[in-house]
Amino acid sequence: MSSKADAAIIDLLRKLNRNVEIVSRKLERLIEVERSAGGHALRPSVSVPENMPLDVTTLLGLPDHLRKSALALASLGEATATDLSKETSRVRAVESDYLNQLVAMSLVKKKRKGRDVYFYIES
Amino acid sequence: MAFHSYKGGTGKTSLVVNLGALFAKQGANVCLLDYDFRAPSLNVLFKAKPQYWLNDYLEGKCEIVDTLVDQSARFKLPGKLWVGFSNPSLEALKDIMGKDRKWEVKALTKTLAGKKEIIKDKQVDYLIYDTSPGAQYSSINALAGADLVSLVMKADEFDLEGTKELSKGVYEALGRKSGIVLNKIPLEQIAAGGGAESFGKQIESDVGLPLVGLIPCMCELMAMGGKTIYTIEKPDHTFSKSIGQIAEKLKKM
Repeated sequence: MSSKADAAIIDLLRKLNRNVEIVSRKLERLIEVERSAGGHALRPSVSVPENMPLDVTTLLGLPDHLRKSALALASLGEATATDLSKETSRVRAVESDYLNQLVAMSLVKKKRKGRDVYFYIES
Repeated sequence: MAFHSYKGGTGKTSLVVNLGALFAKQGANVCLLDYDFRAPSLNVLFKAKPQYWLNDYLEGKCEIVDTLVDQSARFKLPGKLWVGFSNPSLEALKDIMGKDRKWEVKALTKTLAGKKEIIKDKQVDYLIYDTSPGAQYSSINALAGADLVSLVMKADEFDLEGTKELSKGVYEALGRKSGIVLNKIPLEQIAAGGGAESFGKQIESDVGLPLVGLIPCMCELMAMGGKTIYTIEKPDHTFSKSIGQIAEKLKKM
């Protein structure tokens, strides 16, 4: 094999190694998020009846961790997970997961604006 | 802050008006919002006919600051006393009773947005909601908007049981700081409870919330409640002094 081919393989292996490191770091971060959320973050969420509006009675029926996100979102109007994390003093990844749980429960909607994802309560 | 109760007739409105007036008298900028949409009463005491009601704001017909009427000049107060009134007409009462849950979602977001707008635009130091008793939508919306909830109660058993439920199911769930104001307490009941301090401690332990104030029952207040702002007109009255003590406790919470 030529030295040029060797260099190309070494370069490819380095790139692969870098990608493995990135994936590994992300996995560690996910585990950390799960731990810091007391086991809520990666689990399936509670279920609510279909077409339930996010009014105060629904809000009071939510588990504490989701209620905090929903209430903060109601206060901000429209927000990214980063905006919410500043309001709730929780890490962005946790907030993002909770917001997506609320989206999955059809209580919150989301839309993309450029690179950012905005969450909002439809009223 | 919000003043709330399990039952009606506990004296929330008198407390809200007198406390707000006292804060404004001390130089603070205050805003009172009548969130008792089912039985509006601030308009009676202030004899106001605003251009816009709080109902109009929730319907999206105006900004929340358009509903506020400044009462400070009328009472010669050094601080501002803004008041937002809810519409007492039968038409408005019927309208509010017919609202669906979707409308209540909008009312909640508008309540939270309105709070921010008032603080920013009017630079108020104290925003005080007077609410409907019990678990009414408008009341819980106001509680969600408040950082501090004062639960006003009389000391009968019915009030005590319902109050415990409210404390556990609503205030704790919303994560709001809260305290109790015991109002209209007969002197005999205080004496039977071993004096004000001991009686207050017993209620604190029963409800599980700290006591913010204890106001004895005064017949005179029943007759003059809707006509006189004691903290302005009778600052040396026992009721005004009780409000003064409550104000100092609330400032520290």
